[in-house]
Amino acid sequence: MKIIKRLTGFFFSLSTTLWFLGLLLLLLFAGAFIMPGTQEFQELHSIPLFDWLQKQPLKITWWLWGLTGILAVLALNTIFCSIESIVRKRKVTQWLLLISPQIIHIGFLFMIFAHLLSAIGASQELVVVREGSLVKISDDNTVLKIEDINIKIDYYGYITGWAVSVEYLSDGKTFLKDIIKPNNPSVQMGFNINVKDIRAYPEAVLLQINREPGALWALTGGILFMAGIVTLIILKIKLER
Amino acid sequence: MLILTLSFACYLFAIRKRPLLYLGLVLQVAYMISRAAELGRLPLVGPHDTLVFLTASIAAFAVPFGFALKDRNRFFNVVSILAAVFTAFAMTTKQHNSPLPPVLKTFWFECHVVLAFMSYALFGIAAILGSLYLKDQQDSIEGLQYRAVLVGYCLFTLSMIFGGIWAYLAWGTYWVWTPKELWTSILWAFYTFYVHVRLRQWWMGKPTAVLGIAGFGVVMFTYLGVSLLMKSSHGF
Repeated sequence: MKIIKRLTGFFFSLSTTLWFLGLLLLLLFAGAFIMPGTQEFQELHSIPLFDWLQKQPLKITWWLWGLTGILAVLALNTIFCSIESIVRKRKVTQWLLLISPQIIHIGFLFMIFAHLLSAIGASQELVVVREGSLVKISDDNTVLKIEDINIKIDYYGYITGWAVSVEYLSDGKTFLKDIIKPNNPSVQMGFNINVKDIRAYPEAVLLQINREPGALWALTGGILFMAGIVTLIILKIKLER
Repeated sequence: MLILTLSFACYLFAIRKRPLLYLGLVLQVAYMISRAAELGRLPLVGPHDTLVFLTASIAAFAVPFGFALKDRNRFFNVVSILAAVFTAFAMTTKQHNSPLPPVLKTFWFECHVVLAFMSYALFGIAAILGSLYLKDQQDSIEGLQYRAVLVGYCLFTLSMIFGGIWAYLAWGTYWVWTPKELWTSILWAFYTFYVHVRLRQWWMGKPTAVLGIAGFGVVMFTYLGVSLLMKSSHGF
């Protein structure tokens, strides 16, 4: 019983938040000096973070393992503190003032969850394609066909834009057509297909096929976080007046 | 460049005559408009243009914060010196005049950069207020520092969200493991620590003032240090 009480006390405490945020900062600082000089980090974008972590030596990954643990504690701490705050202050008249910090916390939790999903299931593949190229993008026989590559070049020879027409084929039949432009990827079947690089002569495209399962969660988290923080600032300004 | 040189002179002499600070700001805004007209886009790429934008943001944000202070002379003096130093640095760096790559021509990129530098400016204001608090020990100054950090933190978070959206649309991922992203996380975690620490009574005052000053050191390294010393996804 004592252990449970101590454990809940630990997770309910603001001191836990501060200590673990401090530790998080220390590990991020360590990582900021380890990462730039380590070649292995170049591969990190092509496979999920957790797969990469298991393959690499602990001497370069210890800070990332540490960060994962600290973020797990901070996530639990956030949930406990938010519940405690709502229960303790439930009778306040300014409910928006009570709820807005909790919305910020929910936004933070969504972002952590997004990173967790991406750390488990994100992937990236690079492939050079030309007009007529076929690229297999999933295990269910779905193939991407590059129909047309259109590059815009200005008077000075700079590439100013592009439009890559693609078709999705299943068992040889087209079921979807799309156009990839700068900042306008083809997002289909959980994949984000975009142009990483393009060459005019001869026409060739470096296509990037990404799977980012946390993207929507991260966006939702970001919107919630901002909604909470903006509401909180407006309320604080109103209260001071 | 003449307009920028004049704005530098204005900031430098604003220590004697405060209206020169406002004139320096007006000149710098005029310089940014002239650059935008020349380039046909917002001048927000490379150290030159971003330093000018940062300086103008510091000077602009200093006005409301300065007028909330009782003893505003020292505050405006430090702002003037900081603005002069950044402007001088901007004058020594090369302008980025070539056309932007297509992926940079988007609303998300512009918002990402504008918000990031506005937040940097507010963190700078917070650092100046922190140093004034250490000298005067007036609670109102520390309160102002907290406000500067809170609004800066809000803008910085929004900048990160916009950056994530842009990165997802341009490169298919909202997060890349590069030194710039890592330092951005450090900066965000640092100010998250600041806003939580201030909830504790015994941390208010001197400790938070010191944190506010140290935070600007992290800002400067994230902005200039990483870009100059490390290979990263961001030019600046």
